[in-house]
Amino acid sequence: MGTGSPPLTSPPPKPQAKALNCPGCGAAITLRSLGQAVNVICESCHSILDAKDPNLKILQTFQAATGIDHPMIPLGKRGKIRGVDYEVIGFQRRSINVEGVTYAWHEYLLFNPYKGYRYLSEYQGHWNDIAVCKELPTINSNVIGPATANYLGEDYRHFQTADANTGFVLGEFPWQVRVGEHATVTDYVKPPRVLSSEKTSDEVSWSIGEYMEGGDVWKAFQLPGSAPEAIGVYENQPSPVSANVKPVWAVFALLSILLLFVMAAFDLTAKKEPVFHGSYELNPGEPKGEASFVTEPFELKGRSSTIEVSTSTNVRNSWIYLNYALINQDTGQAWDFGREVSYYFGYDSDGSWKEGKPNDSVVVPEVPAGNYYLRIEPEVDASHPQIAYTVDVRRDVPVNAFFGIGFLALLIPAIVITWRAASFERSRWSESDHPPIKLSSSSEDDD
Amino acid sequence: MFRKLYLVYGFLVLSASGFAAYRGWSLDTINQVKNVPRSVRDNPGSYRSVYSGYHHYTGGK
Repeated sequence: MGTGSPPLTSPPPKPQAKALNCPGCGAAITLRSLGQAVNVICESCHSILDAKDPNLKILQTFQAATGIDHPMIPLGKRGKIRGVDYEVIGFQRRSINVEGVTYAWHEYLLFNPYKGYRYLSEYQGHWNDIAVCKELPTINSNVIGPATANYLGEDYRHFQTADANTGFVLGEFPWQVRVGEHATVTDYVKPPRVLSSEKTSDEVSWSIGEYMEGGDVWKAFQLPGSAPEAIGVYENQPSPVSANVKPVWAVFALLSILLLFVMAAFDLTAKKEPVFHGSYELNPGEPKGEASFVTEPFELKGRSSTIEVSTSTNVRNSWIYLNYALINQDTGQAWDFGREVSYYFGYDSDGSWKEGKPNDSVVVPEVPAGNYYLRIEPEVDASHPQIAYTVDVRRDVPVNAFFGIGFLALLIPAIVITWRAASFERSRWSESDHPPIKLSSSSEDDD
Repeated sequence: MFRKLYLVYGFLVLSASGFAAYRGWSLDTINQVKNVPRSVRDNPGSYRSVYSGYHHYTGGK
C-alpha cells in the first residue's frame, strides 16, 4: 500500500503478504488481491507467473518484441470510483487491427475486497469505467441498420466487431492472462455507455462501460499533473452539443411564435394612414424643360414613424426613374431617394418571360410630425410614349423585414448547434463498422 | 445552460426587432439632407438630388 494513497472507505483486511520472489529474476512480488489472483506478472522482468502455485511457476516469459508499456496509474494506487475505493492491481495493453491500422488501448484492473473487480480503459485520452454486466444482454439483428443489444431495458447500437490481441500485461489478474491471446470484441454504444462482449474459444463475457473524463480519473486517483488531452471522438463519448439540439429547437419554435405575434401586433396597430395622393403624366415628346416639380403640402401627425412612398405606373417594356425628396417645409430637412420602376416582358424559345414590375414602394424611416411636400424629378426612356404614374404617401407603415431578420437571427444558432451535433456523430460513426455515407467520392473510393 | 443562453439571446433579438419596428426604422437607402432652401418650393429646379445621374436599366431579357 503506497503511503500517498487515500484510505479505503471500507478498509480491506490487511493483506497477508507472502515473501514471494519472481523465480525468473528474483524481484519481490506483491499479491494485492488477497489470494484471488490466478496470474501475477513480475514488474521487473514481466514474466507471467502462476499465482496459485506456491513457487510462482513461470507461465510465460516476457518477449522484448511486445514492447514495454508504462501504466499512467501506477499499480497499487488507490482511488475512489463511484464512491468506492479501488486499488489498481493489473494493467494490460490490447489492440485491434482494422484495415491494416492498429488501434491500441490500455486496461486497468481495479480491485476492492468487498466490491470485487472493475476496469478502467483508456484510448487516446478517452477513459471508460467498466463493470461486468449484471444480466445477459439480448441481441437484435435488425434487417435495416446495425444490430442492437438490449441491456436493462436500454437499446445499444452495434458499433464495431474486431479481433483484440493482448500485447502487454503487468500486475495480477483473476483469470489466465497471456501476451498474444486473442478475443473477438464487439461494442454496442448508447453514449455515454458502451456494452461490450468478449468472445474467446470457451466463453463470452459482457461488460458495461461509462465514459469518464480524464480529469475525473486524475482526480479520483490523485495523480500528479493533468490527464492527457483526448484525441478525436470516442465511440461512447457523450456529445457536448447533442443534448442541446431538441431544447434549442423547442425554444426556437417558441420564440418564432412570439416573433410572429409581435409582428402581427405591430401590423394590426399600425395606422397606415394615407396622407397624399397624386396622379401625373409624362410625355417624352414634349418640348424639354425643367422636369422637376413639387406636390401640394401635406401634414404628418403623431410621433415619428415610417413614411411609405408608393409609385404606380403604366410602363410596359420601358422604365421611369423618379428622384424623390420628401422635404419638411418648416425645418428644411429632406429625405432624398431615387426609385426606378421598370417592367419588361416578352416571349422567346423558353416561353414567356417578364422582369421587374410596374409599381414600387419605399419606406422612409423615422419621419417626425410636420408639414411636408414632395419634390419629384422624373426621367424616362425618350422613345417611350406617354407614361402615367401615381404617387401615394402613407404614414406609420409597418416594416416586417426586421422580423424577417429577427427570424434568421433566431434560426442561425439552432442550425449551428444541429450541424455541430451532426458533425460530432459523423466523427463518431466514421470509426465504426457503419460509417456514414460520404457525399463526395474520389477515385480512391471507387477502387 | 445553452438553452437559457439561447432564450436570453432570443428575447434580445425579439426586443431588437420590436424596437426597430416601433421606432419606424427602414432598410431602404435614404439620404438625409439638412437645410434645404425654402426656394425649392417655388423653384424645384434649384435643388438637385444626390441620386441624379443614376445609370438607368434599359434591358429586359
